[in-house]
Amino acid sequence: MAEVKTRDFVAAAGAAMENPALRRALRQVGSGFNGARLEAIDEVSPQAWEQWRAEARRIKAHTLDHLDYYLELLADKVAGNGGYVHFARDAAQANAIVAEIAGSRQVKLATKSKSMVSEELDLNLALEAIGVEVFETDLGEYIIQLAEETPSHLVAPALHKTKEQVSELFHRKLGVPLTDDIEEMARVARETLRQKFLQADLGISGANFLVAETGTLVIITNEGNGRLCTSAPRIHIGITGMEKVIPSVADLAVFLRLLPRAATGQRLTSYVSMVSGPRQSDDEDGPEEFHLVVVDNGRSRLLADPDLREALYCIRCGACLNICPVYQKIGGHAYGWVYPGPIGAIVSPTLVGLKQAKDLPQASSLCGACREACPVQINIPRMLLHLRHKLAESPDAAEKSVSPAAKLAANGYAWLMQHPAARAAAGKVGQAAQLPLTRQGRIAKLPLPWVSRWSDARDLPPLPKQTFREIWKKELQGESAADSDPAAGDTQSWNRAD
Amino acid sequence: MMDSPPPTLGMPREEFLAQVRRSLGRPGPAAPEKPYHRLTESLVDLENQAAEREEQLRQEQPALLEQFAATAQLRGWQLGRAADPEEAIGYITALAAARDVTQVARSAEEVFDLLPLYAALENQGITTAAIAWDETKSRADLREQIIQSGMGLTGADYAVAETGSVVIIPRRGLSRLVSLVPPIHIALVRPPDLVATLDDVFLFRRLEYYRSGGAPDRYLNFITGPSRTADIEQRLVVGVHGPKEVHLILLGGPA
Repeated sequence: MAEVKTRDFVAAAGAAMENPALRRALRQVGSGFNGARLEAIDEVSPQAWEQWRAEARRIKAHTLDHLDYYLELLADKVAGNGGYVHFARDAAQANAIVAEIAGSRQVKLATKSKSMVSEELDLNLALEAIGVEVFETDLGEYIIQLAEETPSHLVAPALHKTKEQVSELFHRKLGVPLTDDIEEMARVARETLRQKFLQADLGISGANFLVAETGTLVIITNEGNGRLCTSAPRIHIGITGMEKVIPSVADLAVFLRLLPRAATGQRLTSYVSMVSGPRQSDDEDGPEEFHLVVVDNGRSRLLADPDLREALYCIRCGACLNICPVYQKIGGHAYGWVYPGPIGAIVSPTLVGLKQAKDLPQASSLCGACREACPVQINIPRMLLHLRHKLAESPDAAEKSVSPAAKLAANGYAWLMQHPAARAAAGKVGQAAQLPLTRQGRIAKLPLPWVSRWSDARDLPPLPKQTFREIWKKELQGESAADSDPAAGDTQSWNRAD
Repeated sequence: MMDSPPPTLGMPREEFLAQVRRSLGRPGPAAPEKPYHRLTESLVDLENQAAEREEQLRQEQPALLEQFAATAQLRGWQLGRAADPEEAIGYITALAAARDVTQVARSAEEVFDLLPLYAALENQGITTAAIAWDETKSRADLREQIIQSGMGLTGADYAVAETGSVVIIPRRGLSRLVSLVPPIHIALVRPPDLVATLDDVFLFRRLEYYRSGGAPDRYLNFITGPSRTADIEQRLVVGVHGPKEVHLILLGGPA
């Protein structure tokens, strides 16, 4: 399994914010893909978009609630089509399956199209260990493979790199001249990888969807590397998480409408490829063998928790990353494992173990933008709160994320909020106590040891001379009740598991 | 020859499914209490739906053709229209000449029976490689011919107005690589290939699946414009591993 660095989140996030090249690379996250997504939604009309989201969510909810049934149907169909289906409990088993297939067929060279699951498994390492040369062929994946890094985004793995860094990398690793022309960089990748495609014995792909009805693997791509990986080598292995199954081919249409628009604002990607088994004996080309590897690797824990099951609805579009104010500042690597951003803050802790990733569910302002952007309406903020609650209440000391002092402070705050006289008195004390801390109208640091880490990163406004309650009492009471917005209280519903 | 591996590796299927059932809190195998509506459709249902859609599509054909043409151009297809085979041949030969193409690969689909391409291209010194496998040929040679070609020509199994996509279903006579490996791809679209939506494609393919007694298309591709990437700084670059330049020729359409 891929190295887990989720424990280092706080330090890594801090370092990310002080990395000028990363800041430059992340500048366009909010505008680029996200802006294109919003345009694409406007084009189809927000009403149509909402209908698609609801339909996709219904399909995912139904399939996951009957996952055993659909996996069995899928496996029967793939086998009926002449393919092999293998099930893997965890990363080690998945890697062993692929290595066994590659080894028993004397595979020397493998080309891969983008697969987040294979990143999760660290599959390349397992293949290299048995002497198979592996080439990532998606441009972004190729870049990070050359750089010996991991993806920092679900759809654009090299998003953290500037074009200057890519040019320098190609210069160093491939011996080509430096350039600031992105088209030239793409050309270099094409030339280098074309030969590999044609020599490869094995093509490895992920899957965006698995269709149970017909035993079909669906991949959604733009560059053409996915088509080459599934067409040129004599063996094709598709490897993916068990949650990717949908019931019918007819269910695919709504996902093809949602996924590209949510990911990059495209109306459809350049290619959608559907694989149902190996080529037939009189076809011109195509793999002689097709294998499907279905991976659990912790997903059954998400499935088993009714509060977290909807994390498995995720179609890996990256929309929640692009819109997230935290991701926009720190990028993907700081999250410390394969799945970054808001959805990663739910998936990673569950897959690698909550006690290893205690900080991830805290890395959110709960603003709700991710939920609004999600094409399958996943209620990410609700699940983040659920994980925070689990962490706070955990009987396991290693998992517990809340210090006794913080708990005391929270309980004190709750008590204060329930006792108006004490709160008013505390306000007066605060107004006096803050005077020596206030510089140029801000409080830069609180002198208490257990909140100073929190206050180091934030400047607080001092308490005002007059509290809101005092203003309300004196000036506003009675006049604004009539024009208050009756819907205002209804905008958030995180506590509902709807 | 290669060793035969055991048919399944890893965790036995039953064990894996049992784990999934435990996670779902289900005591044993069970189909959904209420069968999924799409999976209860019979062959007759699908035939009726398809017949109805075909009739609607026939009536909408002129409008669909224009919608398809407009959407396809937005997705990066270059558009040619040919009232007759000569015009189609003219488009192909002119493009081949303009791009200094010396060899063209084409599929062995029936749409080419109408086009005496071979002679027209030969006159310009351009070789045509018809990619069709039989026992007398080696697949490696066919692949080499595709690699040597500057242009790949195919028909279209469907043309989707909603998305501007051409659907190609590789099978005997239609190589996977002809539309993928050469830097230019030309797809010939006939009016009966037109469908309105993605749902139409999936309806017709499901019908074929059930008609054939459960033999799916082993491969199917939606192609929507040229190969592209935005993996560096989210900036669009056209032409990575697939064709940089893609053309549609609408056959028999209004000029």
